[in-house]
Amino acid sequence: MIFNRRSLLAGVTALGGASFLPGIAHAKGSVIATTYPGTWEDAYRTVVAPMLKKKDDIDLELAPLFAMDQIGKAKAARGAPPFDVFVLDPGPRIVGLEGGLFEKFDATKLGNLSKLPAGFTDDVGVHVSAQVVGIAYNPKKLPAPKGWGDLLKDPWVSRLGITGFQTTFGTSSLIELSKLFGGSLTNVDPALVELKKVLPKIAAVGLPAAMPGLFQQGQCDVMYTNTQTVATLKGKGVDVEFVKPESGAITFFTTMHIAKGSGDIGNAYKYLDLVISKEAQEALTKPPYNFLPVNKDVPLAADMPMKNLDEMANYVQHDWAKINPLRAAWIEKFNKEMAK
Amino acid sequence: MQALAPTPQQVAPAGRTLDVDNLTVRYGAAVAVDGVALGIEPGEVVALLGPSGCGKTTLLRVIAGFVRQAGGRVLVDGTAIDHLPANQRNVGIVFQNYALFPHMTVAENVAYGLRARGQRGPSVDQRVERMLEMVQLGAFRARLPRQLSGGQQQRVALARALAVEPSILLLDEPFAALDRNLRLDMQIEVKRLQRQLGLTTILVTHDQDEAMSVADRIAVMNRGKVEQFDTPVAIYDRPKTLFVNGFIGTTNLLPGKIAAVVGDTAMVELGAGATLRLPAPQGIAAGSPVVLSVRPEQLVLSPIATTDSWAIEPGLSLPLGSQLIHEARTVDGAALKIVEPRRHTPTEVPRRFCALATDARPSLFPRSTPTATE
Amino acid sequence: MTSAVVTAEIYGERRSLRLAEWQLALPLALAFAALFLAPLLLLVATSFFNDDKITEPGFASWAKFFGDPFNYKVIADTLLLGLKTVCATVIVGYPLALVYMDLSPRLQKVLLFIIIMPMLLSVVVRTFAWIVVLGREGVVNQALLGLGVISEPLRLLQTELGLVISLTQIEMPLMLLPLISVMSRLDPNLRDASAALGASRWRTLFTVIVPLSAPGLVAGCLLVFASSTTAFISQTVIGGVRLIYLPLVIWQQSLVVYHWPLAAVASLSLVVSVLTVIAALSYLGRRSSRHLQG
Repeated sequence: MIFNRRSLLAGVTALGGASFLPGIAHAKGSVIATTYPGTWEDAYRTVVAPMLKKKDDIDLELAPLFAMDQIGKAKAARGAPPFDVFVLDPGPRIVGLEGGLFEKFDATKLGNLSKLPAGFTDDVGVHVSAQVVGIAYNPKKLPAPKGWGDLLKDPWVSRLGITGFQTTFGTSSLIELSKLFGGSLTNVDPALVELKKVLPKIAAVGLPAAMPGLFQQGQCDVMYTNTQTVATLKGKGVDVEFVKPESGAITFFTTMHIAKGSGDIGNAYKYLDLVISKEAQEALTKPPYNFLPVNKDVPLAADMPMKNLDEMANYVQHDWAKINPLRAAWIEKFNKEMAK
Repeated sequence: MQALAPTPQQVAPAGRTLDVDNLTVRYGAAVAVDGVALGIEPGEVVALLGPSGCGKTTLLRVIAGFVRQAGGRVLVDGTAIDHLPANQRNVGIVFQNYALFPHMTVAENVAYGLRARGQRGPSVDQRVERMLEMVQLGAFRARLPRQLSGGQQQRVALARALAVEPSILLLDEPFAALDRNLRLDMQIEVKRLQRQLGLTTILVTHDQDEAMSVADRIAVMNRGKVEQFDTPVAIYDRPKTLFVNGFIGTTNLLPGKIAAVVGDTAMVELGAGATLRLPAPQGIAAGSPVVLSVRPEQLVLSPIATTDSWAIEPGLSLPLGSQLIHEARTVDGAALKIVEPRRHTPTEVPRRFCALATDARPSLFPRSTPTATE
Repeated sequence: MTSAVVTAEIYGERRSLRLAEWQLALPLALAFAALFLAPLLLLVATSFFNDDKITEPGFASWAKFFGDPFNYKVIADTLLLGLKTVCATVIVGYPLALVYMDLSPRLQKVLLFIIIMPMLLSVVVRTFAWIVVLGREGVVNQALLGLGVISEPLRLLQTELGLVISLTQIEMPLMLLPLISVMSRLDPNLRDASAALGASRWRTLFTVIVPLSAPGLVAGCLLVFASSTTAFISQTVIGGVRLIYLPLVIWQQSLVVYHWPLAAVASLSLVVSVLTVIAALSYLGRRSSRHLQG
C-alpha cells in the first residue's frame, strides 16, 4: 500500500470532518431520525416505523439521543449531520436555530398541515407533541402537594428529588419556583437561595436521566417532571400521581426539524407528515406511550390535565430565547450552590 | 581458608537426633507417605532416594512443618515437634531452586532469619559476614541473587539456612539445577560444612550417585514407603527388594528357577543355560521361579565354556574412561551388560561365554511372572 | 577486506530488517496519530478560544476556569475520589488476591470468573444495580432495618461513601487482574523459605510478598485511579450532581452549555491532573520494583 502525503492528509481531514461518530449509511428509501431514549424510542420504533414502511416504503432508522446530544453531534459533524431529522424541546431548538443546523422548512409539503392548529409550523420545523410539566409524588408516602412552594416544606422537602438546568423541564420548574420568591423568567437566584436553605433535607439531587430510576427505587418520593414520565412510571406499576401546581402547569411543544445537509429531504417530509397524521398521533396517545397529540382530530386522553389543546393557552409558557443566554451561568451557579 | 575453622559458636553443640515415627500423609484419597519410620543419628546425613512421586519431598515438607501429617510423629532429640508451626521449628532448608528473596541482596538474604528472630545491630552483620566467608561469598554481599551464578546462589541459600543455627538441615534436591562438574564441587562443599557443624541432615534426591556420595545412610522410597534404610554399600550389595535393586546402580536380571535346595545352598537353573550354586535365599522353596540380579562388574567373559558359564551373543563394546562396557544377549533373550577394566592389549579371541566373577554377590528375588524384568 | 565486505553486508541486512520492523508498526502509528493524537491536538487548540462559537482565539477560557476557586475544589475532589477508590480496592482486593493464591486450581477458576463477571456487564447496568443495593429502600437499608440495627434508612446513595463503595466493586477487576497475574508468578517456595527461617505470616507478607507483588499492585492502582476518576456514569448516577467531579463539568460544558473551549480546558485539566498522579504512582512503583526488573 502506498501513501503519499496528499492522500494521507485527505484521509485525516475526512476523519476529522466526519468526527468520531460512526457514519450511518443511507439505504435507498430510508430516513434517519433522532428520538429521545426511553418512551419516545419505544413508541417510534413500535408505532411510527411500521406505519412509514407500509405507507411510503421508507425505512425509519432511529438514533436515540437527548436533545442536547443531538445539537452537540450535529455541531461536531459540521455540515454532514449523522441524521436527517431532529426532535427537540424549546431550549435546544433555539440553540440549533442560532447554530444554523436546520434546513429551511416548507410547511406546505405536509399533507396533514390543515389538521394542525395555526402557528404549529414555522420556517424551521413543526410541532409534533405537547409536554406538560408539573409535580409528581408518591400518594402512598406523601399527601398531595398544592404548588411549587410545598416542595420546600415538610413533609415533601425531605423526600424531594431535584435536577438542575440541564433540561427543559428542570429549568422551567426552577423558574416557576423562583417566581414564588420574587424571581422572574430571567432571575432564578431566589429559587437557589431557598433550595440552599433546605439542602441538607433534600433526598436527591441527580441528573435528569436518573430521576425516574431514583423515584422508582424510593430514593425520592416527589419531583418535578412531565406528564409522560408519570404515565410511564405508572405503567411500570410505580405509585405516582401528577399534580398541576396551583400557579399553573408549564407547557411547551416538542418540535421536529430537518437537519441542514440531510441527504433525504423528501423522505424527511414524508416522515414528518406521518408523525402528525391522525393515525400516528392516535396510536401514540394511547398507553403505554401517553403522548399529548397536536392533531386536531385526535382527542386528548382522559387522564390528561387538560381537555383540549386550546386550554394550553392558559398554561405557563417560557420564552426560551431569553432563557438560553443565561443558562450556562445558571448551570454553573447550580453546581456551586448545590455542591457538597 | 583460615575462616573455615569452626569457632565454638558456629558448631552446633552436637547434632540432634531426628525420629520419624509411623508417619502418614494423605492428599485427599491418595496416600503420599505411608507409615514411614526412620531413626536418624546426631550428625548423620540421610538421603531420601526415590523416583518422583515416591513421597520423599512430602516427607521433607512434613519435617519442615509445611505439610500436616494424617498420622505419626516427628521427634527432634526425642521431643515431638508436630504441634509447632514451620517458623518455630528451627529447621534449615535449601530448596532445589534455592528460593532466595529476589528483592534482597545476598547479605539481606543471609540476615533474614536473624532479623526474623528479632536480632538487630552489629551482631547480625558479624554473623552474616562469617557465614558469607564460610561459603566464600564475602565479596558478593551487595549483589542481588539474579547477579549470581547457580552455584553461588546455592551457597547463599546454604549460608541463609545455616545462619540461624538450625537443629536440622533439610536439602531438597539442592544439586539438581547445577551442571555436572559444579554439582560434584558443591556436594563436597555441603558435606564439608555439614561435618564441620555436625548437623543432622536430610537430603532429598532422585540421583543415586548423589545419595551414594553424600549420605551416610540412604532411605530408598517407593510409593510412599521406605523399601530399605541402610548404608550405601549395603544397599548396593544387598538390595532387599527388586525395586531397590533396580533403582540403585545398573544390574543384569537373569530369569531362572530353583532346581533344588541342599542345606544352605540352592541350585539355580538359569534360562540362559547354566546351573549355579548360590546361598539359598529365605522363603523361596525348590521349584520356585526366581530372578538372579548381578552387577555388570560382577560378570566375567571367557573364550571357553565351563560348567557354571553360559553362552552369549556378543554385541557392542564401548570404552568408558578406564572401563570397557560390553553388551551381550543370552540364548533366552536377556540383555546383559558386562563391565571390565580396560587393558592395553585387547583380546583377539572371541569370548562367547559368561560367568559370575569369583567375588560376585548376586541377589535372588522371587519371580511372579515368567520374565520379571524391571 | 573480505571481512569488511561481510560486515557491511551484515549491517546492510540488519538495517533493512530494522526498517522492515519499523514499517510494520506504521499502520498502528498512523491509526494512533489519526484517532488519538489528532483529536488531542484539536482539543488543545479548542481550549485556546475565548467564546463558545470558537471564533476568537485567546486565553480567556483558561483564565476563566483557573480564575474560579470552585474548579480547584472540583479537581481536588476528583483526585481524592480516585485515591479513596484506590485505597478501598487495595484493602479489599489484596487479601482477596492472597486468598486466590491458596485456592485449588478449580476454585481459582471459579473465583476468577466471579472477579471478571462485573466486566461482562455494561457499566450502566452495574451502576443501576448499585442504586437498587444502596437506595433508601435498597437491599442494605432493608437488611439493616429488618435486623433492627438502624431505625431510619441510611443515606448511602448520593454520598461519596456510597460512590466509593460501588466504585470499589466496579473497578475491582482492574485491581485484581494485574495483582493476580504478578502473584501467581511468585515462587511458592519463598513463603516456605521465609517461614523456615522463623518469620511469622505477617513478616512474610510485608517483607516478601508485598514487595514482590508491588509491580502488580502499582499497575492495579494506576488502572483503578484512571478509571474511577473518569467514571462519569457512576459518579453522576450514584453520586448525584451535588458531588461535582471533572467529568460532570466536562459533560455540562460540552453537551449542555456548548462552551467547547471551557470543556476543552476542563478535559485537559482532567488529563493532566490524572496523568500527574499516575506518573507519581508509577515512579514509586518503579522504585519499589527496581530489584525485580533489573
